[in-house]
Amino acid sequence: MALTVQYSPASHDYRHLVQDDRIHGSLYTDPAVFADEMQRIFTDGWVFVGHESEVPEVGDWVSRRLGTEPVLMVRDRDGAISVVANRCAHRGTTLCPQNDGHDRSFRCAYHGWTYDLDGTLLGVPGPKGFHKDTADLGLDRPGQVDGYRGFVFANRSGTAGSLSDHLGAGGTDLIDRTSNMSPTGRVRLSAVWIGQRIDSNWKMWPESDHDGYHLNFTHASMARAVPDTYYDEIVMTGEEASESATRAYDGGHLELDFRRSYTAELAWLGTTREKVADYCEALEGSYGPEKAKTIMWDGPPHALVFPNLFLAEMNIARIEPVSPGVTVHHHTPLLVEGTDESVNRRLVLQSEAAMGPASFFLTDDAVIAERMHRAFEGAAAGEDGWVDLSRGLEREHVEDGQRWSDITDETTNRGFWHHYRNLMASAAASSTADTR
Amino acid sequence: MAPEATESESIASGTVGSGVRDAVDELTRRDIKAFVYLEARLADESRYDEWEALVTDDMHYWVPFGPGDYEPGTRVSYINDNRARLGTRIRQLATGVHHAQDPPSSMRRVVSNIEILSAEGDEFEVGSNFVLYEHAVQATGHLRLWAGRTTHRLRRTSDGLRMAAKKVELVNSTSPLPNLPFII
Repeated sequence: MALTVQYSPASHDYRHLVQDDRIHGSLYTDPAVFADEMQRIFTDGWVFVGHESEVPEVGDWVSRRLGTEPVLMVRDRDGAISVVANRCAHRGTTLCPQNDGHDRSFRCAYHGWTYDLDGTLLGVPGPKGFHKDTADLGLDRPGQVDGYRGFVFANRSGTAGSLSDHLGAGGTDLIDRTSNMSPTGRVRLSAVWIGQRIDSNWKMWPESDHDGYHLNFTHASMARAVPDTYYDEIVMTGEEASESATRAYDGGHLELDFRRSYTAELAWLGTTREKVADYCEALEGSYGPEKAKTIMWDGPPHALVFPNLFLAEMNIARIEPVSPGVTVHHHTPLLVEGTDESVNRRLVLQSEAAMGPASFFLTDDAVIAERMHRAFEGAAAGEDGWVDLSRGLEREHVEDGQRWSDITDETTNRGFWHHYRNLMASAAASSTADTR
Repeated sequence: MAPEATESESIASGTVGSGVRDAVDELTRRDIKAFVYLEARLADESRYDEWEALVTDDMHYWVPFGPGDYEPGTRVSYINDNRARLGTRIRQLATGVHHAQDPPSSMRRVVSNIEILSAEGDEFEVGSNFVLYEHAVQATGHLRLWAGRTTHRLRRTSDGLRMAAKKVELVNSTSPLPNLPFII
């Protein structure tokens, strides 16, 4: 296979590669599949960019990627959120090489072209040399940018339909439950993002992050080092005994639903009401005693908003594809407002234990993903190298736009892949005169 | 020439004339240097029981994001271990089923530019630079390169020098990092 593969639509039969109970390993490693995904999922669909709280002041910006496309999420002069290409419209130089910053405008270091915060070209040195209308030479911008409760999404092609349709009832409820963890209903992502670089395909991360079957084995060392984690009921009770459930919502959104396993309020925070009294009182003040009680017992969701937003309980994570064999898993703790800072200190400490390259959990997941990726490096379609995803297929239930089953079942994996198949195969059918 | 040779042989100690040079005797300087090398070698060889015996009960182990000029806990760090969490980290490494270090990485680090930055009572702040080569044998087999600055806070105790704090500022800490499950 050539090392460089041109983007060529409909080069693969995705209905064959993604079957109801198995998928082919070449989907992780084939560069042509990766190119298709960057188009059909990360260009034609909605992608999570960031949260409004990251850019509170006019001129604040953060550097992000939509798939592999570099962009800036910026608070523009109107106080709105703009997403613009981090690439000069003249010769393509990266405008802002840092992770984040604050500027009155963006000036390219190469020839001095200067852009307003929303990407409008403000001026060029030596304007008499240009016959074109410089109004047409602003920064590239996604076709659609929209947000829900401060979570900002972009769709480069502009053809994905509305964000609310993309989120659906499932994704909307997940973001609501995450945001409601803050007494003001607004979460704050201001504790910086840490990136973990993993030598595996990006799709292993929606899968691994939402796999309820692996805890006993992949994370055995954590269970032995810390005997009383809140995952105990989930992992120790055995098949069909845990009250937790695995859920796949319409639209490829996934959840490991631990709510019914918690045996005490605030179990997800590893503490009791007395230790975070101010936070609990603030929740009651905002939501009333009944709803606050539900929030304190249920905690935050553990869920994927397709394709790249991981609502990781009291963390937010972004799954960033770099190449077929490299992914960055970024995370930041989910901080809350309207209470004293002690609960946020606790959340930072919890985040440092759970997430990132030196954490107690994701280090083991990373090595497992890297071992998987290596095992499929030679996989070619039509040969050996299938991934079995049949677990629980016969006992899962369907109701109200969601599939759910035993926490250890691969309902989440199938939900991800079946949505993936719809996107990859239907785009192929519509973008070419199908030759198959 | 003898005094200069002795000085360069042991450890540069802060800015010349800062007073630190005079405050730390030659024997202590040698002990500090030997401690820093021992700590590095035990970490290289994943000898965690012996490594843990070097730390005090109030040990703080910190790998900040960006320069370590903020109060740990006010924003997220790679590692921000108090003594209890450091104990958990070492227990996890000792379980034999911590896949991220099963088998342990083969590692060698070169420690240099050791300076005693301050001396106060029984405590010494010691700065050094390091380059670490890690063979990540668990999955990829890649040779990974780590580099940064270490700041130790060492305390003289009845058992000899012990480590009360270790801060490791990686030169590339603001870019995504691969697995860091060992003691750096």
